[in-house]
Amino acid sequence: MIKASTKQEQRRRKPPLGLRLAPYLFLLPNTAIFVLFTIWPAINGFNISLYSSSNGRTFRWEGTGNYQRILSDDGFWGVVMNTAIYAVAFVVLSVGIGIFLAVLVDQQGRGRSFFRAAFFIPVLISPVVVGLIWNWMLERQNGLVNTFLGMEIPWLVDDNLALVAIIAVGVWMQVGFYMLILLAGLQSIDPTLYEASGMDGASRWLQFRTITLPLLQPSILVVVVLATIHGFQAFDYIYTLTGGGPVGATTLIVQYIYENGFVSPIRYGAAAAGSVLLFCVVFAITIVNYMIGRKREAV
Amino acid sequence: MSIPQTVSPPTQEPGPKRSWTSTGQRQITATDALRVVILTTAALVALIPILWLVFGSFKTPTELSERPPTLLPQSWGFGNYTEALTRFDFGTYMMNSVIVTVAATVLTLLINSMAAYALAKYNFRGRNALFLLTLATIMIPLQVILIPVYQVVASFGMVNTLWGLIIPAAATPTGVFILRQYMLSIPDELIEAARVDGAGELKIFLRIVLPVCRPALAVVAILSIMWRWNDFLWPLVVAQSESVYTLPVALARFTAQETVPFNLIIAMSVVSILPVIILFLFFQKQITTGIANTGIK
Repeated sequence: MIKASTKQEQRRRKPPLGLRLAPYLFLLPNTAIFVLFTIWPAINGFNISLYSSSNGRTFRWEGTGNYQRILSDDGFWGVVMNTAIYAVAFVVLSVGIGIFLAVLVDQQGRGRSFFRAAFFIPVLISPVVVGLIWNWMLERQNGLVNTFLGMEIPWLVDDNLALVAIIAVGVWMQVGFYMLILLAGLQSIDPTLYEASGMDGASRWLQFRTITLPLLQPSILVVVVLATIHGFQAFDYIYTLTGGGPVGATTLIVQYIYENGFVSPIRYGAAAAGSVLLFCVVFAITIVNYMIGRKREAV
Repeated sequence: MSIPQTVSPPTQEPGPKRSWTSTGQRQITATDALRVVILTTAALVALIPILWLVFGSFKTPTELSERPPTLLPQSWGFGNYTEALTRFDFGTYMMNSVIVTVAATVLTLLINSMAAYALAKYNFRGRNALFLLTLATIMIPLQVILIPVYQVVASFGMVNTLWGLIIPAAATPTGVFILRQYMLSIPDELIEAARVDGAGELKIFLRIVLPVCRPALAVVAILSIMWRWNDFLWPLVVAQSESVYTLPVALARFTAQETVPFNLIIAMSVVSILPVIILFLFFQKQITTGIANTGIK
């Protein structure tokens, strides 16, 4: 015990009970909901994946049976394949177009806020409605897209085209969101850098490569990670756009989990095992992001 | 003692606009023209599907099935809207959406700001652990824990209730994060002074901290309204009977079953996108800076 202590220090050492309890009471409701509806389910998910059930009430021990079953199921691998193609294409296109639009909007003097709002509005629309609109737009005979093209392309009927369609609609819906984050990154770049290199005769392309891209990297990293996670979680607009069809050609992992868990015939075990695998992928991406972020700070 | 300034972004600096040319003179080059053309085309691609939906909601069923499709309706009628509201229970679904959105947003604001205040302004055992726990939940999206969350909700008997839609998603890590960052800028002296004056902890929070945080609360409120109003996967799982359907669930279910004519679906789609778009047009600046700064959706 230190003898000589000021009045202030004394007060800090023995705060009244109310003051000591207050932070815990303030945190209680929020933390209780986190623990009950996120943390505990995340832990319990691994446990559930070791059981099987067809009604969600009675469970039978399976051990690793669920995993063995879905990993030897061609249908599951089809879903994994669709999800992988979707996620990669979605990330590349939405980030690429996002950077392109952000740079163009950033350079635009007049009407900049109009374009920013125009690209962002699809982000706000209910994904269910996005699926409805595009199902209608891409209709084979009566759709606006085919009318415009003067063709009858079976966008939502052909296996490969349907996958292309859900990727395109996903990009349409989300790209404004990524553009916004990238635009914020662009606007934090010091404009005098461009002026100086412009005086040295650097071309715009050279400026983009040597100034914009390197300084934009933190924002690009954020957007790539977000897009990857969004890509693996895509579900709602696909539900109303193609419903996962034709014949499972656009069924992604979240729809697989939803259908096995909640649509008859219910296969709880498969759904839970699928969830755990998706969890591992999302978790791995977040960790990689964290490591890349750390490395960059250290350099 | 001064109240902290709002965290609004720095205002645009006066002087010449940032431009690629060092002199800043207005000379329209070919690249400028190309840029405007590309931007305009992209804006059309972004907006036409939405305008198409809005125009379609005023068309009659015969006009909707016409080939080639017409852009503008021949006559503007609200028939689809009135029919959708009278023939089906869309009024109930809309009411459910409103109740869930409002209740969840109020609850989110309250519990998020309480947690943020504790994390920002108190020194206590386990603070860092609890902050990390909060941040960790960002990494666990609903999609990957759908089954176990459903089990918890079912064990509370909240399936097929609006509570089941409101409570589980009310604690948002994004909200805690935004509010905590904001509260860090409140000077400790302000809180100390109130304590010396004999104010209780709850009173300090309600009377001093919350009013000061109004701009940050507005951002969290807007984000919460957008999330809850458009939410789909969770309501689809929890709302299994028609009386608790929200608008997105009703739209998706009816489209899949083809029990509701298409013209009515379109009208209700427009109703379901309007509130969020109006909100955006009013609070554009807060929404865009809020999202750009947190990068979380």
